[in-house]
Amino acid sequence: MNGPIASSPPSPVAGSVAPGAGGDRPDRLRPWHKRRLLPSSPLYAIVRWGAAGLFAALVIGLVVSIVSQSSQAFAHSGISFLWSGTWNPDAGDYAGGTLVVGTVITTLVAMIIVVPVGLGISVSLSELIPPWLAGPLSTSIEFLAAVPSIVVGLWALLVLSPVFATDVEPALEGLPVLNRLFRGPAYGPSVLLASVVLAIMTLPTVVALSRTALGGVPIADREAAMALGATHWQVVRRTVLPGARSGIAAAITLAVGRALGESIAVALVIGNRPAIPHSLLAPGATLGSAIVNQFAEASPGLGTSSVIALAGVLLLLTILVNVVGQLLVRRRGGRRLLGVRGAVV
Amino acid sequence: MRTLPTVQVALDGAMPDMGLAEVARRRLVVRDSARRSIRRRRMAGRAMQVICLIAVPIGVAPLVALVLATVSKGAGAVNIGFLLHAPTPSGVPGGGISTAIAGSGEIVAYAIALAVPMGLFIALFLFERPGGIASTIRFSADVMSGVPSIIIGIFAYAVYVERFHHFSNVAAGFALGVLMLPIMVRANEEAMRTVSVDLWEAGVSLGARRSRVARSVVLRGALPGVVTGNLLAVARGVGETAPLLFTVASPTFAMTLLIFNDATQPFSDAQQTAWGTALVLLALVLILSVTARMVAWTLNRKTR
Repeated sequence: MNGPIASSPPSPVAGSVAPGAGGDRPDRLRPWHKRRLLPSSPLYAIVRWGAAGLFAALVIGLVVSIVSQSSQAFAHSGISFLWSGTWNPDAGDYAGGTLVVGTVITTLVAMIIVVPVGLGISVSLSELIPPWLAGPLSTSIEFLAAVPSIVVGLWALLVLSPVFATDVEPALEGLPVLNRLFRGPAYGPSVLLASVVLAIMTLPTVVALSRTALGGVPIADREAAMALGATHWQVVRRTVLPGARSGIAAAITLAVGRALGESIAVALVIGNRPAIPHSLLAPGATLGSAIVNQFAEASPGLGTSSVIALAGVLLLLTILVNVVGQLLVRRRGGRRLLGVRGAVV
Repeated sequence: MRTLPTVQVALDGAMPDMGLAEVARRRLVVRDSARRSIRRRRMAGRAMQVICLIAVPIGVAPLVALVLATVSKGAGAVNIGFLLHAPTPSGVPGGGISTAIAGSGEIVAYAIALAVPMGLFIALFLFERPGGIASTIRFSADVMSGVPSIIIGIFAYAVYVERFHHFSNVAAGFALGVLMLPIMVRANEEAMRTVSVDLWEAGVSLGARRSRVARSVVLRGALPGVVTGNLLAVARGVGETAPLLFTVASPTFAMTLLIFNDATQPFSDAQQTAWGTALVLLALVLILSVTARMVAWTLNRKTR
């Protein structure tokens, strides 16, 4: 079957279509420029084009407004705003270096926690647990993607943080080798707690997306591996996981994007000290948490512009990560996954 | 004795003048080695499976604890008066969150008014005009849905608050709308994909205008997916805090801001209010999500 309109040669809209052309996209309409326009009310065309145009304007406007508003800060600190310098408005220091480091550290630690746990859950749900149990379990995990981040933050601040201060952090300090990472007094709010919160918040994303990827590996591949004498786990390890690799990579990338951009819950639990943390138990700050805390009290002019410049840096980071993620999803050739806000429909 | 034929051929063929006892011994060696191999592989597999299964409680426990804590701590705060009374300063009893509920409702209404129609029209655009422009829009929608909500809040601040010099729920609604729009566009488009192009052609060939075909064929066919996707996007929007942070005049005008504000206060009644509001919010989001799934289910059955 060729292009859908061309599929019926004596087409009622005969002449509007060059038969035989455009067979490369069987499920879609022919490209508009190869198609004579069908009767259309001008109003509908205007509204449709207007909506598309408005969307383009929004996207461009978002980038332009962030860039233009942050120009003063970049004029002040130069491009090294991105990677060096500290944030101390009282001393007149406006630079994002320490915050970028804080963001990268929290995201990295969160991923170290969430990737093994998330993959373990995905493999269990898709390969090990019987469907009658896996179905409800994954539905409830996906529902938890919808739990507002402020609720997670509230719970982390009022319930998890005291537990960390009294039990978890002293225990970590007692570890044999790793305790080099966990030094200093146990306050509760810390880089570690923020990372754990990010891990909890990104877990549903990782599980939902990588489970979809695991489920997409053809049954025939598994049967072939079993026919060669592979055990159940060898099928998973040698066939299913490699087959789902790019989908899992996309899931992790999109989770990284979400972790980078999460601001409210992190602002509640990280302790907000814009310096490079000397240990995971020390308070720190991320780009998002600094924006939350500094924007309202920033002095007009350079102060505000610098906070918006932080937003610009964050925007750059997340767009990079998301473009990589979307390209990974696309390369897989499957259906595109909805964005990282957990709206896995 | 049952032995794999290939093994037998290999053994017998390799050493023609071997005694029968030696052949049998070698068969046993091969069999034992195969058994050891499968046992070892099974054991290793079991171990890895157990490791994977251990991840399930580790991952699910915090999520369950979070919901349980919100319910148990929030239930003490929520009653009819809590929902209907205005907030009071800390220390004054009898306060509620009525202004926050009303404000959140107003903000979300603005956001819906902006995002739902735009999302529909953009998705129709993508449906009817595949090509370079459409894929650019599609890609930017995908990337936009990953832009942190705090940045959208700053964008709304720059576009509205700074220009008109006052905080407003309209600005907050605009921010939430921008945040929800890409999710809605992608969900609507996915839903419209299920509508056969043949049906669109049939409608057009009957002489109907495109707007009519869009309404009676495309939207009608895609309705379950459209409603579900939009409801889920609204559920996301209701729970967002960051876009409201720089656009709403007072934290008592939105539920999420009220939680953010009260959570950091050292007073137990403020924290109690935060838990209560969190419970209301959680219930709202749950209801929206469940409704979304139920709508999809019901409408799907009706249209089949």
